[in-house]
Amino acid sequence: MGGKCPHRKVKKRRLSHKTDRRAKFLVKGDDMVYDELRKTDEERKSLPLDEDLPGMGQYYCIHCDRYFANVAVRDEHFKTKRHKKRLKQMMGPAPHTQLDADLAGGMGMPDNGPKLMSV
Amino acid sequence: MRLEKCWFCSSTVYPGHGVQFVRNDAKIFRFCRSKCHKNFKMKRNPRKVKWTKAYRRLHGKDMTQDSTFEFERKRNRPERYDRNLTENTLKAIKKIDKVRATREAKYIERRMTGKKAKELREAQKELEQNISLVKAPALLKEDPSLTLPIKVKVSQKQPEVQLMEE
Repeated sequence: MGGKCPHRKVKKRRLSHKTDRRAKFLVKGDDMVYDELRKTDEERKSLPLDEDLPGMGQYYCIHCDRYFANVAVRDEHFKTKRHKKRLKQMMGPAPHTQLDADLAGGMGMPDNGPKLMSV
Repeated sequence: MRLEKCWFCSSTVYPGHGVQFVRNDAKIFRFCRSKCHKNFKMKRNPRKVKWTKAYRRLHGKDMTQDSTFEFERKRNRPERYDRNLTENTLKAIKKIDKVRATREAKYIERRMTGKKAKELREAQKELEQNISLVKAPALLKEDPSLTLPIKVKVSQKQPEVQLMEE
């Protein structure tokens, strides 16, 4: 995500590796975003005011896990190719998980034993 | 001792092997080798990488539904030690392994049927397209430069060694 500028006019300037590396650890994983999208509106936390984030953390895109400075910029983002691609990806099948890996490796479903009595 | 499966390629991770990554939401990702770890860091999807088990399963390359898959499971409950049970389990493991191997071989064999016809068709097409490269034997006699240098075998009479006797 970070460090890249797809609309760069000056061709010679390369990516900023520093911002690229910084952003790598901040971006949420695909499965986290996927789970977040399946939640209902009540389950999702309302956006708290955060002065460290752009636009006080009020303008957020769930699909891309990005904050924007204002509504106009966010709406502009919704029109971009990257966002639409992401939208499509998130509409598709659930991301790969450890359970999928186990099943593919020839294991059965996990055995949690008989259910405990709920009193 | 727990044998885990690699997150990326679904191979077994034995104790002391591979690396594990714990994300800041406490989710654990285990990798059998640096190859899988690197592929994860590149954010590759195992379902789209051809050498992973996930891909092979999804595309019908491997057997998917079989009763032998029901034995190996993650058991999240303690089991009281029983000597006889352990012995029987160890015996069963070998047997089940054999059954699974034969079934898998059979599956692949069945999957490969019909491939012969395809290969024959492709070979015929190649022959038809590249027939110009094949020279007639009479032409080869006229122009020796077209043939490969011939190696003549030197026949030597070796004394028969009789090691196996005695």
